[in-house]
Order: sequence, then structure tokens, then C-alpha cells
Amino acid sequence: MLEVREVVTSYGMIQALKGVSLAAREGEVTCILGPNGAGKTTLLYTIAGILRPRSGSISFQGRELAGTSAADVVGRGISLVPENRLVFPHMTVRENLLAGAYVRLGRDRAGVEADLDAMFARFPILKQRAGQAAGTLSGGEQQMLAVARALMARPRLLMMDEPSLGLAPLVVEQIFQIVQGLNREGITVLLVEQNARLALSIAHHAYLLEQGRIAFHGTPSEVSANEGISRAYLGIKGG
Amino acid sequence: MVDFLQALVDGVMLGATYSLLGLGFTLIFGVLRRLNLAFGPTILVGIYAGSHVGLAWPGALWAVVAATVVAAILCGIYVERCSFRALARQAPVVSMISTFAVWMQLQELVSLFEASRTMPYPSPAWLPALTVGPILLRSDALLMWSGATAIMLALFVLLYRTRFGTAVRAVADSSEAATLMGVNVSVIGAAAFLLASTVGGLAGVLIAQSQQQVTPYFGLWATVKGLTAMLLGGAGSLPGAVAGGVILGVVETQTLWHFGGQWRDLASFALLFLVVALSPRARSEPTL
Amino acid sequence: MSDYAVSLLVRIGVEAFVALSAYLLLVIGRISFGQQAFFVIGGYAAGIATALYGAPLAVGIMVGAVAAGVAGALLSAVMAPAGGIYFAAGSLAFGELVRVALLSFHYQVPVGADLTGPAGADGFRGIRALFTGGMSVTTYMLAVSGLLAVTSVVIVLLLSSRWGEAMRMVGEDETASASLGVRVRRVAALTMAGAGALAGLGGGLFVHYVTYIEPGHSDVMLGVHSLAYAFIGGLGTPLGPIIGVALDIGLLESFRFLAGYRMIVFGGLVMGLLVVRPRGLLDEVAVHRLSRLVAWGRR
Repeated sequence: MLEVREVVTSYGMIQALKGVSLAAREGEVTCILGPNGAGKTTLLYTIAGILRPRSGSISFQGRELAGTSAADVVGRGISLVPENRLVFPHMTVRENLLAGAYVRLGRDRAGVEADLDAMFARFPILKQRAGQAAGTLSGGEQQMLAVARALMARPRLLMMDEPSLGLAPLVVEQIFQIVQGLNREGITVLLVEQNARLALSIAHHAYLLEQGRIAFHGTPSEVSANEGISRAYLGIKGG
Repeated sequence: MVDFLQALVDGVMLGATYSLLGLGFTLIFGVLRRLNLAFGPTILVGIYAGSHVGLAWPGALWAVVAATVVAAILCGIYVERCSFRALARQAPVVSMISTFAVWMQLQELVSLFEASRTMPYPSPAWLPALTVGPILLRSDALLMWSGATAIMLALFVLLYRTRFGTAVRAVADSSEAATLMGVNVSVIGAAAFLLASTVGGLAGVLIAQSQQQVTPYFGLWATVKGLTAMLLGGAGSLPGAVAGGVILGVVETQTLWHFGGQWRDLASFALLFLVVALSPRARSEPTL
Repeated sequence: MSDYAVSLLVRIGVEAFVALSAYLLLVIGRISFGQQAFFVIGGYAAGIATALYGAPLAVGIMVGAVAAGVAGALLSAVMAPAGGIYFAAGSLAFGELVRVALLSFHYQVPVGADLTGPAGADGFRGIRALFTGGMSVTTYMLAVSGLLAVTSVVIVLLLSSRWGEAMRMVGEDETASASLGVRVRRVAALTMAGAGALAGLGGGLFVHYVTYIEPGHSDVMLGVHSLAYAFIGGLGTPLGPIIGVALDIGLLESFRFLAGYRMIVFGGLVMGLLVVRPRGLLDEVAVHRLSRLVAWGRR
């Protein structure tokens, strides 16, 4: 569904991505692991159109995506749940969700309202807090809001940047169950995570990004079988 | 007691126009996170344009209104292009400096076109005055207030009930997040500017027709009033700007009634001063 | 030297003090639209000292600077915690507050046969200490220039000292500075006092040159211009604001055909310059390069 080929992205003189290639297959959960500073967020931002790649190509559903503006990328069916959630702090939960459906608001008001009800059904805690300002929600609630908000655009590909960051383990488990559930309903997921163990438990395919390059990719069992990687990222001694 | 009520009513009516000025500042500051110091001067150019049209075509009130608003919008586009869009990548303070260079330019522009400094501004002659019990509602004040209220209502409908309004408020809350929702932030920024210029032009019409004249001092005057209204209500808050304008209006008219004309201006500056000194927001605001 | 050139140089000198005053505040991260208030306070105080109480010229001017400095310190007690646009708006309000207050300021004392002193909206006339003292205007101009030169040197020394370092830290990030032991409140208060004194010095020098002062001299345009000078001249060095003043008054004024369009041209220049060099002509990079050039030349 999504094919990234030899993408190079730079910040001024510094090359953050040095020729990254990966594929996210339709209907699967693809995860990207790697240490801090490896370029994971840069990669997601490049796909999302917030950053422009120096070279390389990104194709989504057969059409070239690189160079598309961030706003148009959403229109093509890719939504990003950013690191640190980035909810609209002064808007209510309900308004946040409506804002998430921005690309559909003009033409499909009824569908948006229906989806709103569906989100409240799927995330009952959000229904409870519907009228509350999003900035006052707890970290876990904000994460759920960010996911629900991204879903309001009815994306075909959902990208998530470090959803477990700053959250308690129990909450993280909840979030990952939700992600797995979404995938089972047919949404393709591209997941960037530092929590390798949890990511691998729901992923179909995994990439390891180190210093701007893909160092390894394979199925979760292939990753755990690799001694060097499992020691570095899974904390396991021996294969 | 009657005096107090009359002053209160007058203050609320006057305050509505201050709210409009505050809204103009807030629209730009809230969405673009930069202060537009040329806002008052752009309205100044507008009302002088309206004044000229009024002299050339007496009785054509709609032409005067149109000239005022269009001139304000044109100046607004000039500011947006040169001080905001051209400097989008620089720190916010750079845009602000650029806007007061525009302020200098517009101020001189107005003085170039004037033989005499104060010019008349037409106002509708056919409006009735109302009396509600012992309270007198002067016709010009009534027009000012009802016009401002109508504009504010329309603005709020636009901002809270339309897709465009959702985008504007989203960008004002978090432009990063808004981009992720598919909002084109720079287009929304330019649109917010246009909206602010329109509101400003209309505010200029209402104020000038009430005073029936325009002076070059208006640019600074509108800037101080608008800034005070905005900061009183908390910079960046639209309902806050409305409330701030009303508070300013009431404080001014009460001061006028009880202490006289020269204390009125003093009171409004003192109020701004107090807000700056006491507001907790003032402390948390980062240095530009 | 022609009378016109002398008057031009005095004007540049006087406005340079106000520009330097705005510049000092920029170093600690404050945008002030109100330095004209200190200019006027200094002018009135200096005028009162010489015209009403017969103080010598130099003493009178010093009195003006001190009065404005005290005003700056008092203001900082109220305004220093504010940042960003709050400070900018508050300083604007202060400038107007002073102007309006002066409209009602009457303080007249019999001097010789007449009553002299501030007369509210009519201003304060008859400040003739410069002309009755026998000093020539050219000498005065040289004194102003000399004072400006000395002040600039002092500021340069100040900014390269530990104190200047503290000021820059406050300008960058107050919380971080405080956690590193910088007495933020004290730095702000002293800087505001110093900035006030500088503007007041300019006011005292101005008032004796033109022999009168009025509330309208607390003109927001003066404050706005001072900031503009700091920005176009460059934020890297206190010479920047002086160059800005010289550019506006010296260069543009000399183009007679620009009369009436000067602000439009100057405004346009500022806007264009900000696009190309947002931190002014002599920004930190340029100053760094220049100083390396000087060091290389010395070898």
C-alpha cells in the first residue's frame, strides 16, 4: 500500500534519512523500531508531507506521494497520530474529533456525525469527557483522543508516532489493544515505537532504523531470532 | 443612580466598538501568533478614504462604508504580504517591527492626502433616539452598538458554526496539529487577516460615524483601545476580547461621568497598565 | 560648519540616546514602545533644574537623567515581570499615560519678572540655559557627540562584562537564567533604570537645544522610531542603533526631495531590510566577522 524508496531527508546540512526504503502492506501492522535520534519521526513527517525529501520516492496506493503538501496527504487517506499527541488544548473533546474530520466536513456532514457517535461508542471515556477541554485530559485519555481524532478522517493508513511515550503500562496495553482491534477491522497501521516488545507483539512486519538507515527488516520472529538485535532492543540474552 | 445606569449603558454601547477592535487584534494574534501594530493605522486609512468619498458624493452612505472597508482591506493585504508572509520564517518580533514600519508609512500617507487635518465623516441623519425609562440611548451610539453586536454575532457564527471557522480556531490552538488535520495553515492565516481587516474597517465606520469626524490621531487611539481590549480578556481569546472591550468602555464612561474628560483617557491607559502589571498571563508570556 | 549640519548632528545625538535606551531593553528581551516617556521626564526635570532653580547646564542635564532613571526603576517594579506583548503594550500605555498626565502638570515659579515653568498643555518654555551660558551651539554639538561616544564605549564595556552576560541570559530565557543564579529582577530593574536614564539624558540635551518642551514630545512615534533604529542598525552592537539614527536623520533628511515622503521611504527600507537581514545591518554575525577582521589586521 505504501512504498518508500531510497528517501533522503535533511535538516540543513544534516542528513536525517540517508536513503530509507520500506513497505507497509495493506491490512498489516508494520512497525519501525530504533533508538532515539534514528530518524523515525523524520520518516513519518516525510511521509505525512510535513517535511520534503531531498530525493527518493514515496508511493501510496500506486500514486506518488512525495512533495504533496501535508494537508493534501490527509486528503489522500493517511492520518498521523503525532508524538506527544498534539491535541487542541483549548477545544473540547468533541471539537477535537470534529476537527479531525476537517477534510470531510464540507461534503459529508451526516457521515461525520455518525462517525462521532461511533467514536464515542468505541472510546467510552471520551464520551464521558466530551465537553471537557482536551488540555485537561490525562495522558492516556489524550492519546485515545489523538487516535480517535485521526480516525475521524477515515484514513486508509494510520501512522502512529510513539503512542506509548509517557504513559503508564496499563494504559499502554489498552492503546495497543485498540490498535490491534483497528487493524483487524481493516486499517493499515504504520507504527513507530521504542517499546520494541509491545510493538512486535502486534506487528506483522518490522523495520529497524538506525542512524537514518534501515539496518534490518523481517517478521517479529525473525527479529527476535536475531541475537544482536534482540539483545539491544529486547533485552534478551541469547536468541 | 440614574447617572450610574446611564453611564453603564453608554459604556456598554461604546465598549462594543472596542470589542470589535480587540477582535481584530485577536484574530491576527491568535491565528498567526504575531502582533499586527499596523491594524489601527489601516483602519485610519479606511476612514479617511470614506471621508473623501463622503465629501465627493454627499448622501451616498453605502459608498462611504464600502470605501472605508475596502481601503482597510487593501492596507491589510499589504501588511499581510510584506510583514507576515514575507517574514513567516523569522521570529514573531521581526513581523511586529515590520508592521510598525508600515504604521509609519500609513501615518505619513494620510498626512500627505490632507489639506486640513481633521475631516468630516458622514453619519445617517434619520436615526431616532430612544428613551427607556430615564435612560437615553443616543441614535449614533445605538447605531454603533447594534452594528458592532451584529458584526460580532456574524463573526461568532462564522467561527463556531462553519468548517472555515473550525480551521481558524484549530490553527489558533495549535497550528502543528491543524496541519495534521489537513488544514492549510498559511491560507487560513491570510484569511484570518482578511477577516480582521474587514472587522476593523467596519469598526472604523461605526466609530467615525458616531464622532462624525476623523483625525490622524485615530491610528494610535484604535491601537491602544484594541490592545487593551485584547489583553484585558487574555491575549488570543475571542470571547475575552469581547468582554475586554465592554469592560474598557464601561470604565471609560464611568470615569468620564464621575471625574470628567481629562481623566477618561488617563483611566483607559491606567487600566491597560494594571492588566500588564497584575495579569498572571503577562508573566507567562514568553519574551518575543 | 553650517548651522543646518550642526542642528542635524545634535538631533542625531539626541535621538541616538533614545535609540540606545530601547536597545538596552532589547538585550534583556523587552520590547518597549514607551522610551519617549523617559525622554520627556528627563527633559522636564532638566528644564526645571536650570530654568526654575538656576542650576548649571551640566548639572541640570544630569538631574534629568537621574530623574528619568528613577522613573525607570519605579516602572520596573510594576512592569518587569511582564513579557512579550504585555510589556510592549504596557510600555505604550505608559508613554501615553505620561503625556496625558503632563497635560495637567502646572508648576510655575517666579524667575526674575516672569512666571516660568510647565504650563500644562502649553508646555514649558524659556529654557535658555544653553544660550545664556555663553556656550556656542557648535560646542554644544561637540559635547553631545562626545557624550554619545563615551556612553557607547561604556555600553560596549558593560555588555562584554559579566553583567552584560547576565543581561543576555535574561533576554534569552528567564527561567533558565534564574536557575543558574542570575538575579533576574535585579537585572531587569537596573536595565530599565539605565535605559530610562539614557533616554532622559537625551531629553535634557534636547530641551536645552530647542529651549522648550511640551507633553506632545512624549510621542509614540519617537518610541517606535527608536526601536526601528535598533533593529535596522543591528542588534549585534550598540553602534547599530546609532547607525540606524544616522541613516534615517542624516541620510534621508539630506534628500530634500524626500520631504513629506521620508517616513514612507524609511518604513519601506526597514521592511525590506528585515526580509534580507532580520537582525539588522550590524547583526551578531557581522559584528563577529568585523571583529575578526580587526584582530587579523592587528597581527
